[in-house]
Amino acid sequence: MNRSALTGSAMAMEVREIALVGAGAIPGALLRWQLESVGDHWVGGLQVAAESDLIANLLGCFCMGLVIAIRPPRPRLTLLAAIGFCGSLTTFSSWMLELAHAFSHGQGHDAIGVLLVSLVGGLLALVGGFCLVRLGERAFGSRRVGSSNGATRR
Amino acid sequence: MANEAVLVAMGAVPGAWLRFRVVNHLEPMIPRKHWGTFGVNLVACFCLGLLVGLEQSCGPAPSQALLLLGTGFLGSFSTFSTFMAELFVVLRERRWGESVLLGGGSVLGGLIAMAMGLATGGQP
Repeated sequence: MNRSALTGSAMAMEVREIALVGAGAIPGALLRWQLESVGDHWVGGLQVAAESDLIANLLGCFCMGLVIAIRPPRPRLTLLAAIGFCGSLTTFSSWMLELAHAFSHGQGHDAIGVLLVSLVGGLLALVGGFCLVRLGERAFGSRRVGSSNGATRR
Repeated sequence: MANEAVLVAMGAVPGAWLRFRVVNHLEPMIPRKHWGTFGVNLVACFCLGLLVGLEQSCGPAPSQALLLLGTGFLGSFSTFSTFMAELFVVLRERRWGESVLLGGGSVLGGLIAMAMGLATGGQP
């Protein structure tokens, strides 16, 4: 009896987590898929960049920066926005596929360019999002800053 | 278009969910959480390489399969933003050696996993 109640609540939690991650993952993946066709008519390094989902990856890093800057961390927002939305909007596998493709087709310079722009741009986008939230906190006299006891959480 | 969007969405949910569960499952077993994301990304690279390699050796795959498995599932399973967030954390802690290992290892490991997947799938 007790055990089945426990299993039931664990399952309810699991379902809630799936719903949150999934609700973020669907728009994230659809946006990434649509952004892939933006660079259809671009050539050379720009084409490599577009096909390796650079736009989606940079956008996702910016959003990730926004989410991780929020304090205290909010578990449900993390599931929905960070793990679901940003995680699905950005991708590692297509990035690597396009880089491997470019390297093997004699576009080594383009590949290294895209690689560096992705890494440096990704970090800058993330830091940009992070700092934006911190600046906002300062500008709007955040009530949440320093509330390590979580008393101000909604 | 509408059907294609459904395929991408159908792949994305289990992909993101599996990534979340695998990283959480691995967390107690590894020194730092970012190696879980690293592993997930490498596995995704190998699988995408396999998919593309199979397509090259066995003839064109149905575009629906590529949308469901490649764009939807593996695209959501692997992540760049979490990789960057974790790299940012390591850099903020001024752990330079580990940040080079994580950044360089992810790129090199990803390329090697991709090449292995492509080679495996490309076998006649």
